[in-house]
Amino acid sequence: MAGAAVAGGTEGKVDWRLAAPLGLTYLAFFAAPFAILLGISFYADAEQTRLGLDSWTKFYGDAFYLKVIVDTLKLGVFAVTATTLLAYPLALLFRAVGPRAQRVLIFIILMPLLTSVVIRTFAWIVILAREGVVNQTLLALGVTAAPLNLLQTELGLVIALTQIEMPLMLLPLLTVMNQMDQNLVDASRALGASKWRTFFRVILPLTLPGWIAGATLVFASATTAFISQSVIGGARLVYLPALIWQQSMVVYNWPFAAVASLTLLFTVLAGIMALGWLGRFARTG
Amino acid sequence: MTVTTRREFLAGAAALGFASAWPFRASAAGSLTAAIYPGTWEEAYRGVLAPALKKSADIDVAFDSLFAVDQVAKVRAARGVPPFDCFVLDPGPAASAMQAGLFEPIDASKLTNAAKVPAGLITSHAVTCNAQVVGIAYNPKKFATPPKSWADLFKSPYVERLGLTGFQTTFGTVSIIEMAKVFGGSETNVEPVFAELKKAVEKAAAVAAPAAMPGLFQQGQIDVMYTNTNTVAILKGRGVSIEFVKPETGAITFQTTLHIVKGADNVANAYKYMDMAISAEVQGALQKQPYNMIPINKDVKLVETLDIKSVDELTKMVTHDWTKINPQRAAWIERFNKEITK
Repeated sequence: MAGAAVAGGTEGKVDWRLAAPLGLTYLAFFAAPFAILLGISFYADAEQTRLGLDSWTKFYGDAFYLKVIVDTLKLGVFAVTATTLLAYPLALLFRAVGPRAQRVLIFIILMPLLTSVVIRTFAWIVILAREGVVNQTLLALGVTAAPLNLLQTELGLVIALTQIEMPLMLLPLLTVMNQMDQNLVDASRALGASKWRTFFRVILPLTLPGWIAGATLVFASATTAFISQSVIGGARLVYLPALIWQQSMVVYNWPFAAVASLTLLFTVLAGIMALGWLGRFARTG
Repeated sequence: MTVTTRREFLAGAAALGFASAWPFRASAAGSLTAAIYPGTWEEAYRGVLAPALKKSADIDVAFDSLFAVDQVAKVRAARGVPPFDCFVLDPGPAASAMQAGLFEPIDASKLTNAAKVPAGLITSHAVTCNAQVVGIAYNPKKFATPPKSWADLFKSPYVERLGLTGFQTTFGTVSIIEMAKVFGGSETNVEPVFAELKKAVEKAAAVAAPAAMPGLFQQGQIDVMYTNTNTVAILKGRGVSIEFVKPETGAITFQTTLHIVKGADNVANAYKYMDMAISAEVQGALQKQPYNMIPINKDVKLVETLDIKSVDELTKMVTHDWTKINPQRAAWIERFNKEITK
């Protein structure tokens, strides 16, 4: 009763007790492990007997590990770019067709989400392999003389991630696209703007919040996609998730794994913040 | 001041009662929790060992599906409150766990089948349940002659169809050590093989995660790999064109061992579980398709689908000392990462 009185009586004041269960859950299952992780990262040796900055200096003083960070970020950017390029035409098509076709489209878009990411990843092995669907088709059509190496390459990984992450980009985009006022698009066209100009000056700015939500999800998901990265990317492409697994599970160097984990966390956060900043810039700019 | 009503108190009490009754882990009499490798091992132990144990001793097994390295990491992280009673480990992780003091000592007199196992396979802290044999696997439809030695993997036409994997797994580590020996290295010196690996990696069909190798072979992405006979037999059983070759310097063997986790709740049941695992009944069933596990019980007559003809062959194979390998493994993994990656 007290909560209702406070909420009803004094506007703007929040009853913290309503937020307490979630807050405490975060404290126990996110803040506390995060603090432990941070603490472990300041051990100098794998046996965790001596404090020091050795793990941090080793990680950030080595060009190889810096490249791993850059590669992980790059993978996220590639996935966002590829999903964006494919999602916009599809979202525009979704807007243009009737309700029946929309139902079919939404089923096609949601279908991948109903299948486990592990199954989708392994399906991509069958598609991209040397004797897989893509290579067999290219060879049969005479496009290539020898099978292309698509698996174990960054290109192959980006192709697979694009399909795997596509629903995450499309769903927020479709929601925003559906709420867009058609009169604005029509007015732009009536005033003589070309289709491209209308797209870049009207549709794109209006749908930017949806794209930012989608891009955030795709970026966070692609940079942390351990299974797809290790199965399709192979061992020649090292990204932060695989490095963390290797250091914690095989080498048992937990301080170093903690540094890599915190780096991954901040890398993803930086990406998300950049996208958020872009959203604010778009609204004010 | 907050006043707790009778209703809230009852709800809280009920929640507490529910929470305490929740089966977080099997700790009742007649049960145990055992870690098991995902995949064939889980299928085999769930399908053969668990029903046999239930029938003979009325013990229910709850399996915790984890790779060896994950089991050790989980028990280390649990810090004295083990999440399961029994480990199943390869020599590398077993040596690490031994060093970290994660095992209860083994009293062989509690194992009725101990005498059926060759000498040395039951030690102070380990019960061997299976032998693994590692060598070269190739696709006979793609090559007129099979590769003969570890060095052949670095030559044409094999290198162009080779699947490379690093030091993350036991089979990967021991295979690369054997390659290093061919090029002048030793068990503790893999230096000579790195130059060869660097050259090979530009031509190799794939450099992949160990778990991805069978899938890549099945899909024709690779036609040569280093692996264990178990994987070869499973792929062959699925109609894949694959053959196992013992390299000229000999096939490698290592043992998979069962251990009781330090501080385990169900030690007595863990003994019964291990005893059943090494029994002729279970070992005889596990060597057949689709499990293809090499038995260690002397009473078991080997089936023809295995790539060895007698258990005695194991004694002539190449073995490795993991107490020497483990201290260097982290550096090898780092080196492989740095030199083999793009």
